[in-house]
Amino acid sequence: MNTTTAPTIAPRRRRRLELNASLVVGVVLTIGFLVIAIVSFFWLPSNPNIPNIKNRMLPPGTVDHWLGTDGLGRDIIAQLMVGARTSILVGAGGATISLILGTVAGLVAAAYGKIADETISRGADIMLSIPGMVTALVLAATMGSGALTTIFALTAFFTPSFTRVIRSAAMSVLQEDFITSAKLYGRGKLFILARHVIPNIAGVMIVQFTLYFAAGILTEAGLSYLGVGVTRPSISWGMMLNEAQQTVGISSPLAMWPGLAIVIVVLGLNLLGDGLRDVLDPKLKRRS
Amino acid sequence: MTTSAKPHAIEVKDLVVSNGDVTAVRGVSFTIPQGGRMGLVGESGSGKSMTALALMGLLPMGWSTHGSILHDGVDLVTQSDKALSSRRGRTLSMVFQDPLSSLNPVRRVGDQISSVIRRHTGADRKTAEAQTIELIKQMNLPRPEQLVRAYPHEISGGQRQRIMIAMALACYPQLIIADEPTTALDVTVQKQVLRLLNGAVRDRGSALLMITHDLPIIAAMCDTVAVMYAGRIVEIGPVQEVFRNPRHHYTRGLLDSQPTMDNIALDGSSRLVSIPGMVPPLHSLPTGCAFNPRCPAATDKCRETMPELGTDGISAACWHPIHLAGEVAAQ
Amino acid sequence: MAIYALRKLAFFLGAVFVASLAIFILIRAAGGNVAAIVLGKDATAEAINALAHAYGLDQPLPVQYFNWVTNMLQGDLGQSFRTKESVADLVTARLSVSVPLALSGLLLGLIIAIPVGTYAARNVGKPSGAVLALISQIGIAVPVFWAGILLSVLFGVKLGWLPTGGWIDWRESPIGAIRSLVLPVLSLGLIMAAVLIRYVRSAVLDVMNQDYVRTARAVGMTRTQALLSVGLRNAALPIVTIVGLQIAELIGGTVIIEMVFSLPGLSRMILANVAAREVIVVQSTVMLIIIFVIFVNFAVDLLYGVLDPRVRNAA
Repeated sequence: MNTTTAPTIAPRRRRRLELNASLVVGVVLTIGFLVIAIVSFFWLPSNPNIPNIKNRMLPPGTVDHWLGTDGLGRDIIAQLMVGARTSILVGAGGATISLILGTVAGLVAAAYGKIADETISRGADIMLSIPGMVTALVLAATMGSGALTTIFALTAFFTPSFTRVIRSAAMSVLQEDFITSAKLYGRGKLFILARHVIPNIAGVMIVQFTLYFAAGILTEAGLSYLGVGVTRPSISWGMMLNEAQQTVGISSPLAMWPGLAIVIVVLGLNLLGDGLRDVLDPKLKRRS
Repeated sequence: MTTSAKPHAIEVKDLVVSNGDVTAVRGVSFTIPQGGRMGLVGESGSGKSMTALALMGLLPMGWSTHGSILHDGVDLVTQSDKALSSRRGRTLSMVFQDPLSSLNPVRRVGDQISSVIRRHTGADRKTAEAQTIELIKQMNLPRPEQLVRAYPHEISGGQRQRIMIAMALACYPQLIIADEPTTALDVTVQKQVLRLLNGAVRDRGSALLMITHDLPIIAAMCDTVAVMYAGRIVEIGPVQEVFRNPRHHYTRGLLDSQPTMDNIALDGSSRLVSIPGMVPPLHSLPTGCAFNPRCPAATDKCRETMPELGTDGISAACWHPIHLAGEVAAQ
Repeated sequence: MAIYALRKLAFFLGAVFVASLAIFILIRAAGGNVAAIVLGKDATAEAINALAHAYGLDQPLPVQYFNWVTNMLQGDLGQSFRTKESVADLVTARLSVSVPLALSGLLLGLIIAIPVGTYAARNVGKPSGAVLALISQIGIAVPVFWAGILLSVLFGVKLGWLPTGGWIDWRESPIGAIRSLVLPVLSLGLIMAAVLIRYVRSAVLDVMNQDYVRTARAVGMTRTQALLSVGLRNAALPIVTIVGLQIAELIGGTVIIEMVFSLPGLSRMILANVAAREVIVVQSTVMLIIIFVIFVNFAVDLLYGVLDPRVRNAA
């Protein structure tokens, strides 16, 4: 009957890709990291899990083992490459699930009335008061260690803060005039959220995801170091550091490589997140 | 230089304020005698606030000052921040536009005033507090003893601005600069605050530099007026003269565009005159006289060469100033 | 202020309650027959039942929860199944390690971060500012345990100045205890500093550009005076908030560092008891830690009310 539809009211934010140093370095490091992880499925210098005692503790620079071997003769580079997979799996896994849960919770808190808001916000605050490491330890105890448990722990860790971020971003978008127009046109809440709010907070979501991905990698490394994260035959950089610490009296390079890997990857992701934030932020932070 | 007290509260010569890319003030000169009152008029982007900040030495990071600012026996442009800070609040002070953001939100207003007094007079706590209460009374504020303990967010806008004025006047400065002091206030309160400022300045014998875009305020409070456009003074002179017989076309335009009871017919039949065009951005000014694209009397000369202000204190920077007797050449 | 404080207190109590429920459910949900696991494979059914009964493990969960809470309120934190030591005693012994470590780490972090962050804020845009920002970014990416390992390699193995691990009790030798703490505190403090520097810088930067700092200069303060007396005082607000939020991180860091340096603190105890299925010990200890964190946040809220008059009147 009514053939006219409401015009697209929400101004689309166009992303001008301004080059800034943070962004560039972040992209390079992140892509490098992803590439290495992918390559690891197709090619490894040698088996990272089979001990080869004849070759134990070879120094870096040895032919076939450019970064050397560990206490059981396993190639370091191979272990690092497989470890990259774990970091992505767990880090991105935790960040993704938190993103989904946090977005739902944040949007509900922002758009469905005071009671929902109070409950969700208070709940998030309480969960934030519980130290993540402790929760992770307890979860590992009750659910056993492994990648899945770690992902679960990360999710528990990140969802509350994700919720707060989304809630606050969504609330400022909901105050904009074009939302009122949409309501006047009779658009339902779900429609407004999906069509108008989410596209406008997409930038925030991307930035936070990147930063939590980085934090997830750090946390997973810590848990694996403690022995409650990933265990052999899976490989994690944190786990490598735990093993390295035991041989530290004899050879210190072993303690360097996994740590460096962690620093470089986390740094890259953080720089990427910050760079993205600089690009997207001026458009997101519109005060009505 | 004579060794007697400087005859002027402030003497500005060829002031230039720039941050390397943009020049916000492009050669401004004026003098305010002791106890004198000057108004600085202009729209946003004219450079009037930057002028004020330059006089105080409070320009934002990256901006620098050239020229000379003679005050209290020295040239302020050559002084270090430390030397300037000993004068700020004491011989030279400023009232800002937004009192809510300009007052320290975590300190009681009484403390903010007394700390100014103690800083410059070395008075002890009790004396400063007593003087503060006196000042607050002079500002016609009710219940001074309670007000002293209030925080800025607990009092009204008008009260906050009076507190700022009290801070500026506390040490009897030679010159007070007021930058749009009432623009952020409710209309009903504006008049009260201005009247208060007027009286307080007069009682102390201080000179006043009133910066505003609101012409009637200047007419009521000032002796001389300088009109700024695109970083330069385009007309300067005694208030009555300039407002009755403006010589610069921009001044004429400003005056004509003021709504008065004469040019507003309540049946909507009249229209407000406005100056065609827009204020040019400071990074792409026209050549020659900056006003030429909007001026009814512009000629080639105006587009080529920048006119200068005369030095006798009453003049317009214009190649074809409006003649006193006749009309401007119709366009 | 009173109303504000009461609201925060109510939240504190509520949070503790909810957290206790969460912890209880989480730990018991793993379940399995606790008594059976503790006694091992060869235990008889009778022994298992006896143990379960002695510790109230055969009662319905809500009853167990209720008993646990009421006991904790009276100061009875339960006992270890195997050693029969009271949890309270176990915890107290460990606190003398964990608490000095955590507090010193935080203190060191603040001592470094506040001046450096302020300096970085003042030098924004200049090379020194950019260098500091980069250093801070790298510092955040460093896992705290790696920092610990590196420091222990450098100072412990290579230079031999400090112990690479282990602990000498305060009562035996205070100097020994301090020596055992130096590297751990350094690792923890440096990483905390890296995290805090960003926040301090951003808080000071925000405040530096506020009008009221300009007013302070307009009435006679020099740049430095205005920054330190007005600027920092106002920047203290977001900084205090950040410190509150970082407490959870601090605890996480402390847990890891204790493991790196083999310090007999709370984290080792938790891990060991988790492995041994000592549910009561773990429950109570974790609860204590959580209460501590929530309490710190409560204290931070109160402090914020003291520092910022706008908040306390908003009741």
